[in-house]
Amino acid sequence: MESTRYVIIFILILTAAVAVSLTGLREATKAQSATNEDIFNKRAILTAVEDYLPDGQKVAELSDEQVLELFAQMDQPVVDMEGNVIEDVKAESIDMAKERKKPEAERRLPVYVYEQGGQEFYILSVRGNGLWDEIWGSVALKSDLNTVAGATFDHKGETPGLGAEIKDNPSFSEQFEGKEIYESNGDYVSIKVRKGGARDPKHEVDGISGATVTADGVSEMLYRGLKYYQPYLDKVKQQSLLLN
Amino acid sequence: MEFFNTFIRAAFIENLVLAYFLGMCSYLAVSKSVQTAFGLGLAVIFVLGITMPINWLISEYLLSETGLLGVDLTFLRFILFIAVIASMVQLVEMVVEKYSPSLYSALGIFLPLITVNCAILGGSLFMVSREYNLSNAVAFGLGGGFGWFLAIIAIAAIREKIRYSNVPPALRGLGMAFILTGLMGIAFMSLMGIDPAAFTSNG
Amino acid sequence: MAETAVKEKESVFQFGKKERKLLTDPLNDNNPITVQVLGICSALAVTSLVYPSLVMAIAVIFVTAFSSLFTSLLRNYIPKSVRMIVQLVIIASLVTVVELTLKYLNYPVYKQLSVYIGLIITNCIVMGRLEAFSMANKPWRSFLDGVGNGLGYGVILVAVGVVREIFGKGSLFAGSPIELKIIGPTADYLINTADSVMFGWYANNNLMVLPASAMFIIGIMIWIQRSYNTKLVDVS
Repeated sequence: MESTRYVIIFILILTAAVAVSLTGLREATKAQSATNEDIFNKRAILTAVEDYLPDGQKVAELSDEQVLELFAQMDQPVVDMEGNVIEDVKAESIDMAKERKKPEAERRLPVYVYEQGGQEFYILSVRGNGLWDEIWGSVALKSDLNTVAGATFDHKGETPGLGAEIKDNPSFSEQFEGKEIYESNGDYVSIKVRKGGARDPKHEVDGISGATVTADGVSEMLYRGLKYYQPYLDKVKQQSLLLN
Repeated sequence: MEFFNTFIRAAFIENLVLAYFLGMCSYLAVSKSVQTAFGLGLAVIFVLGITMPINWLISEYLLSETGLLGVDLTFLRFILFIAVIASMVQLVEMVVEKYSPSLYSALGIFLPLITVNCAILGGSLFMVSREYNLSNAVAFGLGGGFGWFLAIIAIAAIREKIRYSNVPPALRGLGMAFILTGLMGIAFMSLMGIDPAAFTSNG
Repeated sequence: MAETAVKEKESVFQFGKKERKLLTDPLNDNNPITVQVLGICSALAVTSLVYPSLVMAIAVIFVTAFSSLFTSLLRNYIPKSVRMIVQLVIIASLVTVVELTLKYLNYPVYKQLSVYIGLIITNCIVMGRLEAFSMANKPWRSFLDGVGNGLGYGVILVAVGVVREIFGKGSLFAGSPIELKIIGPTADYLINTADSVMFGWYANNNLMVLPASAMFIIGIMIWIQRSYNTKLVDVS
């Protein structure tokens, strides 16, 4: 039983059997899993504008069809780092994780333009590093492209009760509502998470005790991630000035 | 210098078992006597020290897009790492069985369980997520192993001594070991974040 | 002929006293966590909340039971020199099955547990039982042994999770559809009379959020278990 030939044959048969059955299962479940993932991501983005959903609903109350409906109605431009809209791509097809692996100048940025009740919101995506692994989020700006309407965050493996609070604790993300990313003189400052409590009521939020690294990660992610959108946001502002 | 830095960090400041609580099963089960703890500790240093560079080479040259095969095969990382670790442990098992039968029987099931010792797999996964280069990977492997070795000897020594104390019968042995480890873990939490380089550089 | 003992032909799926013991032993006398010292790492990582503990327990029961079954079926064919690798392949495949199934059935739960699912592969209980039992026992009994050990693990996991979540976050089943807030300022059962607010004064104990707390809780559980089950004293 110990002959090398037997060992090799056994391993080969075992590997083949495993490969076939696992691939089979993957193929059978692929379509549904992909849809599940898509809906999950879309719900996450909608959480940034949770206060402005149709009929005052919360994200959890929306059905899957409603979620897809809302996204079908959205304008979904994809922009490059210079602020130019890239043709023939929709924001929902952008994978932020993959974009992050590209050199900075080549990255593409998704924008979701959500309209409801006469108001217009620009939902932007940011991605950064937490303590253990990546963190990411969506920031919804009001039509002045300065005030935050809402923000939502998620992570891969932060500590429950500490770094994970950026997602699990709604009061963390709620702090961002109403904050502004520009100074009154037009300087870009983003929003900072301050340990020990926010000092600047317009541009800072309270930190999470015990989760300084994750909180700093959020600040960095917002500063850099929102800065990428500057060229595009400037262009949009210029266009709306021209139109008025 | 960076090698030394990573080694010290892995061994003391971010001790795999006391700071990250990896490799608990063998740590708690084998620490009844310093002698067996010593044997297992050495085995862990060996396995960690060897599998880290091998896994690094695999990750860098076989699985990455810039490697030999030219395709992004990073999803196979987990399986291949474990396969490498399993082979190393199989080797260690054969050696120990031949040269020290008493250690072999004392370790019992926990020798093959080094394969699934979360410290060893965790070490390789940390190496990947922190993007260590080869020399750091080796330093991390040896340092991490050394730290695990020191930790298990420390608790084995404490457990040997505590046998002479008045511990309630139901708490003796394993129960006490859990509580001791919890205390050591809390103590080690205070070390998190120290950068050894700050002590060795000038100014 | 009359003098030789007649051996009863065992049916394949016999469920007698011995088989029942395979299910009940790991709950107490041979508990994987408190006696065999297996499965500790995940018991620390997952138990800060009850809901992930429960799902993890179910996943471990499934993986241990079926990998024990498959290993036992193959036990006479696995070459000794590669037995660990083969066991791991079996375990890893089953974990992949769990992952694919979760992704298909309930994506949000999959997302919550994706980090922990990988941990099942390194869960010493699975490999421990394969080595200690399935490699030398028949398939049906190995399956039962896997289920029993998974249950023993699950019981401890949920128990630790309950303590850690109630005292660490004041809730139960947070993150699941049936979240309950038990104590603390946001509790669901506040009696809002002038000066009696039920347990509203409770401030979350941050130690419970750390893995070290699980060590203390399990240590105390062992103490309690061995006080009632005195034959376990000094066994490990």
